[in-house]
Amino acid sequence: MPNKVTIWKLRNNNPLRKSYVNNNIKSDEFDALIKITVEMSRYLYPYIREILESKENIEINSVIWNDFNKRFIELIKERFNLDSVRVKKLLNQTENEEFIIKSLLTLSLCISNQGYQKLKNFLIAF
Amino acid sequence: MMQNKLSFHQSSVSLEVIGLPDYSNNENKDQISIISQWKLTIINKPLIEGKIEHLNPIMEAFYIYSNLLIKNKFPVYESKLIDIKADSLHIHNIVLKSSKPNVKPLTLKIGNSLLSDTINCFDQLNESSKVSIKKIRLTKNMPEKVRFRLNSKVKLLNLIIPPFIAIFSLILFSSTFIYFYNPVEDKEKMN
Repeated sequence: MPNKVTIWKLRNNNPLRKSYVNNNIKSDEFDALIKITVEMSRYLYPYIREILESKENIEINSVIWNDFNKRFIELIKERFNLDSVRVKKLLNQTENEEFIIKSLLTLSLCISNQGYQKLKNFLIAF
Repeated sequence: MMQNKLSFHQSSVSLEVIGLPDYSNNENKDQISIISQWKLTIINKPLIEGKIEHLNPIMEAFYIYSNLLIKNKFPVYESKLIDIKADSLHIHNIVLKSSKPNVKPLTLKIGNSLLSDTINCFDQLNESSKVSIKKIRLTKNMPEKVRFRLNSKVKLLNLIIPPFIAIFSLILFSSTFIYFYNPVEDKEKMN
């Protein structure tokens, strides 16, 4: 990854985004994105853990989960193509729960030194 | 003899491994190759401990279960030693069966956060250079088909060579049959 702009451009490969451009992501770029994701989730692990924990006993501590879900939906509305059926599913509060929990869990399992390989395996099997 | 003790921590979970270095292998003093005992402490849950022969199956169970969990809706892992089953999307039921007779199985309920803490502790143990245990490989779960697709630089030669070999072998075979059929002889017979 030469600079931040490259990462920024790569994000547009996501077909769910408003600004979707089909650039065909290269294998090196795919690997680099995974490495960045692993580093980020290692750094954010305490937060990820808090969100997962908050959902486990929602009666006691629902603030963190609600905040996270609200922000998640806000970001999707801002950047994703809202006409897509898949994006609509992500916005539906009852349906997106499983997706969010599984994504967070995947990230939280990939913070070790071999996290890169793990995340790659998870993504391939997805 | 003093035993070595190594601990791995992740948020609410810690894993302690006690053992000795293998001096016959000229190992460092602080290395652990012969594990005599291990303890898994999860805050607010009963202590889990055992011998080396239990550590590997339990680690493997957790790894397989976490893989299933991400891929399936309701994953289940069952073995002689340990059962793990999803109670809901957030809670997992773990049943640890003791190898000693007349000991009731221990049941634990842990959430996603504790499950990921535990697996991260196992990851640290797996990656530690100071402990030599049978390493659990992560790549074995990758299906063959995908492994091929991932080799981004698919060699062009590999694509071209098989059809060429096929065509050449066809030519080679058919050319040998030319000698069996002699049109001149055929004409003589007609006459």
